[in-house]
Amino acid sequence: MGETTIQKRRLSGGYAKRHNMIGLAFALPAIIFLLVFVLYPVVYNVVLSFTDAQLSTKKAVHFVGIKNYITMFSNKLFKKYFWNTCKWTFWSVLGQIVLGLALALLISRPMKGATALRSFLLIPYVVPAVTMALIAKWVLNSDYGILSYWMQQAGWIEPRQSLLAMKGPAMWVVVIINIWRSYPFPMLIYWAALKSIDRELYEAATVDGSTKWQSFLYITLPQLRGTTAVLIVLRTIWTATYYDLIYMITGGGPVGSTTHLPILIYSTSFGSFQLGAASAISMVLGVLMFVCIVFYLRTGAADE
Amino acid sequence: MKESSIKQQKMRSAIVTFVLVVCVLIMVGFPLLWMMVSSFKPGTELFNVPPKVFPRFFSTEWYKQAFANENVIHYFLNSLKIAGIVMVIDMVIGTLTAYSVTRFSYKGSRLLRMSILAAYCIPPIMLMIPLYKIMAALHLTGSHVGVIIGHLTITLPFSVWLLISFFRKLPKEIDEAAMIDGANEWQVFIQIDFPLCVSGVLSTGIMAFIMSWNEFLLSSVLINKEAMKTLTVGISNYISSTHIDWGIIMALGTITTIPVVLLFAAVQKYFVEGMTAGAVKG
Repeated sequence: MGETTIQKRRLSGGYAKRHNMIGLAFALPAIIFLLVFVLYPVVYNVVLSFTDAQLSTKKAVHFVGIKNYITMFSNKLFKKYFWNTCKWTFWSVLGQIVLGLALALLISRPMKGATALRSFLLIPYVVPAVTMALIAKWVLNSDYGILSYWMQQAGWIEPRQSLLAMKGPAMWVVVIINIWRSYPFPMLIYWAALKSIDRELYEAATVDGSTKWQSFLYITLPQLRGTTAVLIVLRTIWTATYYDLIYMITGGGPVGSTTHLPILIYSTSFGSFQLGAASAISMVLGVLMFVCIVFYLRTGAADE
Repeated sequence: MKESSIKQQKMRSAIVTFVLVVCVLIMVGFPLLWMMVSSFKPGTELFNVPPKVFPRFFSTEWYKQAFANENVIHYFLNSLKIAGIVMVIDMVIGTLTAYSVTRFSYKGSRLLRMSILAAYCIPPIMLMIPLYKIMAALHLTGSHVGVIIGHLTITLPFSVWLLISFFRKLPKEIDEAAMIDGANEWQVFIQIDFPLCVSGVLSTGIMAFIMSWNEFLLSSVLINKEAMKTLTVGISNYISSTHIDWGIIMALGTITTIPVVLLFAAVQKYFVEGMTAGAVKG
């Protein structure tokens, strides 16, 4: 107690200021890095979207106003790809949140080996996307893939056919693989949130004769509302902008049926070399992200 | 009568749990197990129709073939080098930053915390074009400097975010006592607080290593020389070619995945601790 008073006196005035300035110096490398390699690129991206910049650095760059945006919105395919992005994001996020919650409930049960099970279920969090892509392409290979073989035998698909080559199912395949990859994050967060719910609420409910299902519906779910909101925001940002998996599994095909905005951004910039136009497309995702980030920060996530 | 019905209920609940656990184990385990089994199947068996779940013979021929390719060794070493450097830089800068925002209250410390969270949300596809432009202008696409910077834009905010949760738990009273004894801020950090958090720092570094090792988009854009590419980019080139050597691919997938799963297992305790104490609570 006495020490704290002395400390407070020492920390007053000029000393406190100097002390905190030294603290700021600790963060300088990160501040400089974020300014140069995150903030500047984000601003640069906005600027590029109003120009006719090409991939080659040698060509002169001209300011073209909102021409890139007009071209983008008048493109019929853009609408389709935008819709694909919505479909991909909605089902992926819904799936991983439902599965994450279900598995969190499972590992929260009092049982032997719950910790080992939790560790095992977290593995997909670190499995590289390229691994999932090559497994998917292998098990769904039209000639030798084990899943394709079973489906062909069951008569669900034609001989020598693969789900990845079919326009409708291809999107569902990538969504399901994405759910497999991304449920561990919501599972972990839900698991922690479940632990923090007051046990007494359940005991009181049981005494009042509520069934397990009722307890889940009227105690667990309302208590998880805040967590769910944050998870939806974070996962929407990451899913809508997630490029690797679809690119490596279908490349956006067949016939553009799995092309979403990140794939379009990539092919516009590194396929047809139109960096300006690609920046304009990424601004669509940028606006969505901006709204999500503001919402996320307003939940007070940055406060102690 | 009543007791036996309770027993029955308990039994039923245990069976349901058991069945669920088995289903979940298969769901998570099957894809990875199938890749590993396939990578050890001898050439002829890999293409058996109908596919056999367990091979009659095990063979390491695909691994030998994979490593006979000089590029594969390059990819492997490149990934190791890049992820290693990213890990060290993240640990140094990340620790200093997390320490700064948890221990000091200067003007803008809250803004800095918010900026780090915002940066954590910015995905690689948004930074791809500007970063490419910047690195191309600086002639860095022929070296690993560009891709290391690219990986830091993803891993640094994550590392700081995780590290904050470790530093927040340290009591501030020790610092104050040490400063009264005449230690300066740097001494307090390096001699008292840092040693107390060293396992958290190391775990965070290993998570950064894993993220860098797994990264694909920026690695594929910011490196333009074949011999400089990383494992994930190298493999993705193989699986999108028209003629695919499935056995080699399965072997490459296995050697890419096993190290990160093992590393993750080693640091998982701290990862779970940091993530669940962190900022995601709504």
